[in-house]
Amino acid sequence: MTTFMRRRRILQVAAGLPAAVALRAQNPYAAATSGKPDELPKLEAIPPDGVADSKPKFCSGLQLAALRRLADLIVPKLGETPGAADAQAAEFLDFLLSESPADRQSLYRNGLDALNAKGFLKADAAGAAAMLAPLGKPWTYKAPAEPLAAFLRTAKADILTATVNSKEWIQVVSQRNRNAAGTSLYWTEIA
Amino acid sequence: MPSQVHDVVIIGSGASGAMTAYQLTKKGINCLLLEAGPNFDYSKDRQLRAVYDLPYRGFGKPGRFPHVTQANEFTAALWADEKQNPYTFDPKDPYYWVRIRRMGGKTLVWGRASWRLSNYEFKAKDHDGFGDNWPVSYADLAPYYDQCEPLLRVSGRIEKLPQLPDGVFLEDKSGDSASIARFISAAKQKGIPTTKQRRAQGTLASSANLLLPDALATGKLTILPNAIAREVTVDKATGKANGISFVDRRSKREFHVKARVVVLGASCLESTRLLLNSKLASSSGALGHYLFDQFYVKNTVQAIVPEARNGKAPGGLMGGTGYIPRFTNLDKKDTDYLRGYAVDFSSGGTPDPKYFPYYGEDLQKALAAHTNTGFNATTMGSVLPRFENHVSIDPVVKDAWGIPSLRISARYTANEFKMATDAMNTLSELCHTAGFEMLAQHDQMVPPGESIHELGTCRMGDNPKTSVLNKWNQTHDVKNVFVVDGSAFVTGGSQNPTLTITALAMRAADYMAEEMRKGNL
Repeated sequence: MTTFMRRRRILQVAAGLPAAVALRAQNPYAAATSGKPDELPKLEAIPPDGVADSKPKFCSGLQLAALRRLADLIVPKLGETPGAADAQAAEFLDFLLSESPADRQSLYRNGLDALNAKGFLKADAAGAAAMLAPLGKPWTYKAPAEPLAAFLRTAKADILTATVNSKEWIQVVSQRNRNAAGTSLYWTEIA
Repeated sequence: MPSQVHDVVIIGSGASGAMTAYQLTKKGINCLLLEAGPNFDYSKDRQLRAVYDLPYRGFGKPGRFPHVTQANEFTAALWADEKQNPYTFDPKDPYYWVRIRRMGGKTLVWGRASWRLSNYEFKAKDHDGFGDNWPVSYADLAPYYDQCEPLLRVSGRIEKLPQLPDGVFLEDKSGDSASIARFISAAKQKGIPTTKQRRAQGTLASSANLLLPDALATGKLTILPNAIAREVTVDKATGKANGISFVDRRSKREFHVKARVVVLGASCLESTRLLLNSKLASSSGALGHYLFDQFYVKNTVQAIVPEARNGKAPGGLMGGTGYIPRFTNLDKKDTDYLRGYAVDFSSGGTPDPKYFPYYGEDLQKALAAHTNTGFNATTMGSVLPRFENHVSIDPVVKDAWGIPSLRISARYTANEFKMATDAMNTLSELCHTAGFEMLAQHDQMVPPGESIHELGTCRMGDNPKTSVLNKWNQTHDVKNVFVVDGSAFVTGGSQNPTLTITALAMRAADYMAEEMRKGNL
């Protein structure tokens, strides 16, 4: 304890005040923050998805609407388990597609347009299910030749990944399954 | 000080470069090791992060690694950047060149499978007439395998299989789950052998923790990171190499180091690129040629163990792994292709959602019902070394440091296609015999290179007119230049190559040390 600190402590005791109160009353620096100047901080923070709406960057309004409905059908909310809508999977994929290679962009644009051309947005449950019938075919190594079937296969995988890698999904499912914690070792970029 | 002549300069800190440094420094020889990438500090360079906290939710930045299927958003910084390190190929024949430029090289993330080659590989021509034999036999390498396995802490089981020689293992006494036992029994009925995996053990099984610390402790090793080798330089008067020109990765400042002996362990194709750019060791016409690897058919079969459905697996049914060594064309030709394939198989886990033809609630129910029911197997096939599969220097493209890039020309041929189809049919049959239900099967090989087992392009041989290296990994043309990585391979078999690379590097180092002692280098 330094001479200054000892003197300050004596003054606090003499005044009969609790130490911290006395400190704040007499030391304007202490009153300014309860932070610890000699400790390095580790602040809890969040990704933007949970608190902000992302601006559509790739899809048209109709395409994004179709992608949202498709995502909700691929991974619906089931009981307490969040679905693709909770995870904002469609909004995330819109961003991912905006940076994706041209062939991926075409696959999505054409696929979403094809669904819309079939009236996907206004179709009832049975009608929508009929449009997604290609997803009921067994998996083959090579992608289906039919463009809509190829799109649906890719979209199923992407929507699933975008959902199960979301904070919303992981926070709920990791309570039931430790393997769903979604953490791994991240390698820092080389300087 | 800068003008000092080092005893040996080694390019690369992976399996081969580090093993050479380990062995030479143990014998009191001063080595300078150049690594193209940075050094690392495990406490700073890796951190636990949540996937949702990454900018691309685990997908990774689109288009960053078009040819590195192993990369994900967590490991992106580990792999050599494709824009900084470009290479070219004919779009009709894509080649996936997977590189790591960090201290330890690819041993930072290797699969750790550690198999010995046998004379079915070293003397392959004697068995089936194709290609060439190695200038060494299994007996030449065996003493070095004996030393490398304990260094890498390889676990395994003694089997007495002539095509898969036993080694000095940490004995694997573990039992098999009931599902694995059923598969093994099905294989046995067809006369197909199986064994436990042979893998390096430990939290990290890298040259960075197993070899380089001991080499540094001798006081004979100096490590220089961020040093990208540009050219092996030659003394025009003697025709011998006299050092290495390199460029600092960060500043692009140019340097040169002098050395009595130059050792290239930069990885198969990087060492060959360095020789091609140096216009060295090319008199045979074989430099850059006979590129091959092992082809992979990932998840050749994906099956489920039906008794495990709906969480009803009795204890001990699921889990575990195993390996089928090559079993075809050993003592007689028994297929319509040459040589053969190996298989990794494993039990447990939930099959990928893509295998279930459902979506929505039906898909989630299917995934829940099939938790820990999976069985899958991946094929690793022998690829024939062919002269026409080769690398050359691209006349136009250079890397971020102005060093000319490689152009790679490689394709699989009928022998590999037939082998892949046979593997699929055989594995499917074994799964049925074992009582598994098939979800999917296929015989589509990944593109050449993707297995990260690229081999050849600097092959060994006794004849300087048809090979680049002699039986000591020494270039025929320049006696004080050695190439100690996978580029020296003449054939590769279906075994993962790293253990053989380390054995060859250790053997080459012993020869170097003796020749230096005699004053021949």
